[in-house]
Formats: sequence, structure tokens, C-alpha cells
Amino acid sequence: MSSGGPERPQLVAHVQQALSYTLFDCKWVPRSARLLCLGSAARGTGLLQLYELQGGRLALLREIEKAKPIKCGTFGATSLQQRYLATGDFGGNLNIWNLEAPEIPVYSVKGHKEIINSIDGVGGLGIGEGAPEIVTGSRDGTVKVWDPRQKDTPVANMEPVQGESKRDCWTVAFGNAYNQEERVVCAGYDNGDIKLFDLKTMSLRWETNIKNGVCSVEFDRKDVNMNKLVATSLEGKFHVFDMRTQHPTKGFASVSEKAQKSTIWQVRHLPQNRDIFMTSGGAGSLHLWKYEYPAQRSKKDSEGAEMGVAGSVSLLQNVTLSTQPISSLDWSPDKKGLCVCGAFDQTVRVLIVTKLNKV
Amino acid sequence: MPVWLREYSWRQTGSAVYLSLPLRGVRVTPANIFCTDQYLKVSIPPFLFEAILYAPIDDTNSTAKIGNGIIFFTLYKKEMAMWDSLTLANANKEKLQHLRENAVLKAHEKAKEETEAKKVTKQEHKKYALEATMKLEEAERKRIEDLKEKERQKVTKELELWKKEQKDAEKQKRIQKEGELYQQLEQLKEKKKEEINKTRIPNEGTSKTRLKPTKGHGSCSMFSENLKEEQLPAPRSAATIKINFTSRVFPTALRESRIAEEEEWLRKQAEARRTVSADLSELEDLKEEEKNPEWLKDKGKHRCKMFATGNYLAAVNAYNLAVRLNSKLPLLYLNRAACHLKLRNLHKAIEDSSKALELLTPPVPDNENARVKAYVRRGTAFCQLELYTEGLQDYEAALKIDPKNKTIEKDAEKIRHLIQGTMQDY
Repeated sequence: MSSGGPERPQLVAHVQQALSYTLFDCKWVPRSARLLCLGSAARGTGLLQLYELQGGRLALLREIEKAKPIKCGTFGATSLQQRYLATGDFGGNLNIWNLEAPEIPVYSVKGHKEIINSIDGVGGLGIGEGAPEIVTGSRDGTVKVWDPRQKDTPVANMEPVQGESKRDCWTVAFGNAYNQEERVVCAGYDNGDIKLFDLKTMSLRWETNIKNGVCSVEFDRKDVNMNKLVATSLEGKFHVFDMRTQHPTKGFASVSEKAQKSTIWQVRHLPQNRDIFMTSGGAGSLHLWKYEYPAQRSKKDSEGAEMGVAGSVSLLQNVTLSTQPISSLDWSPDKKGLCVCGAFDQTVRVLIVTKLNKV
Repeated sequence: MPVWLREYSWRQTGSAVYLSLPLRGVRVTPANIFCTDQYLKVSIPPFLFEAILYAPIDDTNSTAKIGNGIIFFTLYKKEMAMWDSLTLANANKEKLQHLRENAVLKAHEKAKEETEAKKVTKQEHKKYALEATMKLEEAERKRIEDLKEKERQKVTKELELWKKEQKDAEKQKRIQKEGELYQQLEQLKEKKKEEINKTRIPNEGTSKTRLKPTKGHGSCSMFSENLKEEQLPAPRSAATIKINFTSRVFPTALRESRIAEEEEWLRKQAEARRTVSADLSELEDLKEEEKNPEWLKDKGKHRCKMFATGNYLAAVNAYNLAVRLNSKLPLLYLNRAACHLKLRNLHKAIEDSSKALELLTPPVPDNENARVKAYVRRGTAFCQLELYTEGLQDYEAALKIDPKNKTIEKDAEKIRHLIQGTMQDY
């Protein structure tokens, strides 16, 4: 399965657990060896399961059932003490749960008319500065930013112009949160649009179209001056944009790679090394990539305006774990190389990526 | 005619016959010597030596030594007996021939057997080689598996160690904090009264049962946490950003588009606009601009007026001219069909709607409206001709394209009832 010489990182399958429900998202609980599985049970209710990594197996600690199936979750906007989970569900509700007392959500709002496809949080976990905020992207074509301290209304709303036919928003990500005021939200849509919203100036900063529906976007680090953005799409392509230099007309420079014939469902950067990221594919495979910067990150074009230069991407390792798409992926922020992935074959797998120090 | 070699010398013992055959000036190879159990032949064109042996010999063990200008045969007798002579004396031609043939046959059989034996040994060798390679590969695979297993165990151990560390660190911090809490609980009670009432997630009163270490800070009491909260900026003032999506000629995403069909449709449209049927003498009378089908479309608006005012014949005439000029615009046929309907020229109406539908392939969202109209008009014509089943078919086709149209639905229902009514009469 894994190939390559002795020095390449190996993707070792550590633990595998079969579940009895459809798994949509899996997340590590920060500062622990516990992970959370979010999904939808057969009877149409939502399910939250808390597992702990014990020895060579996953032990179920807690199971919580909710009214609506849960699509996505994030710990990004809570403090390390509280570790509240923010979830988006199939009914368009955004809820924040205290896992110790999950009967009643700590914060709840019916944010969207349709399913919340993607959620991201920033400002928590001791990472970054500024207010804790959560962004949700939904099938109703809107992207909304919420502050857990403000009830019912979003602090920012990115919606289509009146009369415009809406396109599903499939993915959202925060970035550029390097001080109290600055923040951007990047959203990817099903028609291939990628839009970058600047929350400080409340405006659209950049947009582009990559032809195929955008399945996942992620900045390499949320809490620094935006450096790189990876956007993955249908038909096996992903693009890496260099976000340091924005050209007035051409936007950001990018390099694209066609990895597999199938959809690339997720991209996740290694928290401990922002140039390494993993993509998960529709054929049940995981690819580990490394980005190399070019000699010069920006150059002047014919009119003297600064233009970015994209680097190159190289494949470090790949492995096929399943026959079904791997729809969710999360690196552990505490242990380098530990990651969890969930696939549509109702299995959650914990993997260990070795030799990342030598890359 | 071969040259017979008769100069030979021989001697014998009880078990073997030694025959020496001199051959001068010729090169001998083993291929020239042919020997079976009772027949010996040496043939080096043009020389020939042949001997029908007195008694059978063991030809597999017998040898022939080829020396310098001489062949020395050592023939082992099958039976230990002394031979009167080397060859059989009374050998007539027939017997000779017979013997020769036998000998050849025997040799053939022997050759066959040998090849068979060779094949079998070859198979065995192959099998053996295969097994050996398989074993090697198996060993290799095992080695890799072991390496992986070792890695896995190493990492598992590291993980367990890390977890233990975490737990220990937690315990320590917890003990530490509980001590501090005790002290600061008093202070907090006073401070609480001074604090601004915030509508935050209510956490201040509850005792922390699971205190986790914060990143980088030393002791973290509730007190300092409250301070930290005050330092967070207020929630953003709400704002909305309006966005537009990338437009396309056909408003479908790449994965939904039927590009091939759409391109074909566009092409046909372009073609239609360009064709002008040139072999009509009347065209010479018309002005240049009248030949332009674009202009014809404008005329179409006039025709609509004619249509609206009830001047259907004039409309039909105008359309006829237009069709002569440009036989590829489906719109013209469509509208002419409507005119014919009004004039109750039902067959013509059917013809025109059919022609329109023909021109409206490939079916794309763009020409949906036109297609619906065509189906409806043809359906109506059929119904008025009392061909209800065909009419119903067309109405259903129209419904398939545009399922939300209530009038089409109602009309389809009516027709169905009509059909059922007529059927019941039988």
C-alpha cells in the first residue's frame, strides 16, 4: 500500500472502528487523545460520539443524539478551558455544545434555510487574536459569520444579490487573523467560484472561478498573515494559491495539480508544518503533499505591478484505505503526525504519519 | 550413384564387435552415421557404407569414434555369441529395403521418446524455478510487513507515553488550581459585584471540574480569565456583503452542462441565420435588406400584429415568404403553425409544428419554450382532427418539458377523459 524508500513518510493505519451510522465529520478534541465523530443515524437523527484512543483501539466514551443530522463541526472558536463544539446540521441550525452538558446548547440559532455544508471557527484555542467567530456556509448560497456573544443575528452575511440564482456554498475557511481587526473568510461554491471576503473592510477582496465545484478550501495557517490557500475541487484537481501578493487584475498566483480521477473531498494542513498538507479523495485514498516555495515569491510584471509567483507541489506519499470516499480529515493539534479520517464506508480510522521530521 | 565403401576391417569378442572403416579425404560428423539395432549406415556423399548386422546390437551403448580418416565402431552385442560374419549373408533386395525402412522407423520412434523425456524434465525444472521465486517474494513481503509492524508499534508506544504525560500534567495542574481557587474564591465574590453584567456564556459561577492547562500560561485562575474576556474586542457590527456568481452563457455548472448539445444548438442557430435560398426569381424583386432574416424577424412582429388583428391569411403569406427565404428558422414554422390552427388548416398546422420540432433538436434548456409551444400546437391540431391519442401524446411531451404549466395539464386531462369516453362506447 505505502510505497517509497526508507526516508519517505509512511501512512500507517493505527486503529480502525466500524460505526453504525453515516459519518460526516470527525474532529480531535484539543489537548487530549479524544476524538469526536459527527454524523447521521439511519433514523434521520444526528449523532455525536466521543471516543478515546486507548492502546490499540477506540473506546466509546459518550454518545449523544440530536434531532437533526449533523454535517460539520469545529472547535475553532472556543477557549481551551471550555472546548465547546460548534456544529452545523442538516436543518441549517448552528449550535454550540458543552460536551459535559449536551442536553441544551450553549448557543443556538437557525442560521440558514438549508443544510449547513461547512463550518469554521477562529479566535479560540489560544490561536490567533481577536474575537472568537464562527463562519457557516450553506446550500442556500449564503455565508454567515457569527459571534457567540451575539444572539440571533450574524455579524456578517455574504449573500447573493437580489434576483441572482443561488449557488450552493460547499466550503468556508477563516484566514489572515493575525491581529485583532484583520480577518478574511474564503468561500468555495459548487460552480467553481472562490470568493475572498475581507471582514475588516466588509468587502469582497478577490474572486475567481476554477471551473469545477470547490469541495474544500483551507488556509495553511489561520492566525498569520495569509500565506497560502489550497482549494480542492471535483475531477481530482486542487489549486494552491500564493496569498502574499495580490495583483490588481490577475489576483493571486496559483499552481494546480491533478491528483486523482475522483473528487478531492478535503484538504488539511499539518498544524505543525504549514507546507505539508493531506488531501483525501473520492476513491478512498489519502495523498500527502509538500509545497516548495519558488526562489522569488513575487516579481514585477510588465506594468511594474507586483505579481505573485507560485511554487511547486510534490507528492510525498499516498495510500488507499477504502473503496468509499474519505469525506473528513483532521490532524491532531497536539501530536505531530496523528490524524483521523472518516469515510462513507461508515468507518473511522486513526492514522499515524511517520518521519514527518525528516521531510 | 553412391560409391560403396567396401574396405573395412573388423574383429570381435564375445560381447562386442570392433569395426574400423577407413575414409580418406572426407570429413565425418556424427550426423553422417546412422545406426539402429541391426543396421548400420555411414553416408558421406558420394560415399556410402551400409551393413545389415549379423545379430542385433545394443545401439544406445555402442559408440563410434571418428578419428583421422577413419571411423572406429564399438558395437556391443545384444547376445553373447560369436558372429560368423559382420553382415548377413543372404540378403536380397526386398529384405534389405524392409530392414532399412524398419531401421528408419525405429530411429524415429527413439527420437520421439527422447524429445518427450526432455519435455518432462523441462517442466519439472520450470516448476522448481517458480516455487523458488515464490518463496523469495514471500520472504520479501514478510520483511516489509515486519518493518511496518515495527513502525506501528513504535508509534503506538510513543502515543501512550504522550498520553500519560498529558494525564500527569493535568493532574498536577488540577491540584495546583484547586488550591488557588480556594484562596481566590473570596476575592472573586467581592469583584463580582463590580463587574459589568455581560450576556456571555454563563460560566463564572460553576466550579471547574475539568481544568485543562492553557497554552503557555502558568496558573490560570478564574479571576485572570475574566480579565482576558474583557480584553476581547466587542462583536463586530453587523454588515452584509452582496455577491454575484460567475455567469455563463448557459447557467449550469460545468458538471451539469451538456456542452456538446448546447454547442450544436448554437451552431444550428448560427447556420439558420446565414442560409438564404437563392434560387427564387422573386428574390430579385426584393430589396437587399429584405433578404436578411434578421429583418424577417422584425417583420415577424408585424405578422404578430396581423395575427392579433385576425388577419391570418396575410400572416400566413408573410410567413410563407419568410420560409422560402430561410427554411431553417424553427420560429417561423412555429408561428405559421399557429396561424394555420386559427385558419383550421389542421394538417398544415401539424406539418409545420413537426417541422419546427425537427429543427429544435438537440433539446436544450434554451429552446424549451419553443418546444413546449410546438407540442401544444400539434396536440391541438390532432385533437381537432379527433386523433385524440396522438394529441394526448403531444400534450404529455409538452408536460414533461414544463411540468408546472396548469393549462397544459388541464387540457391533457380533458383529452384523457374524451378518450376514455369514446372507448367506453365499444
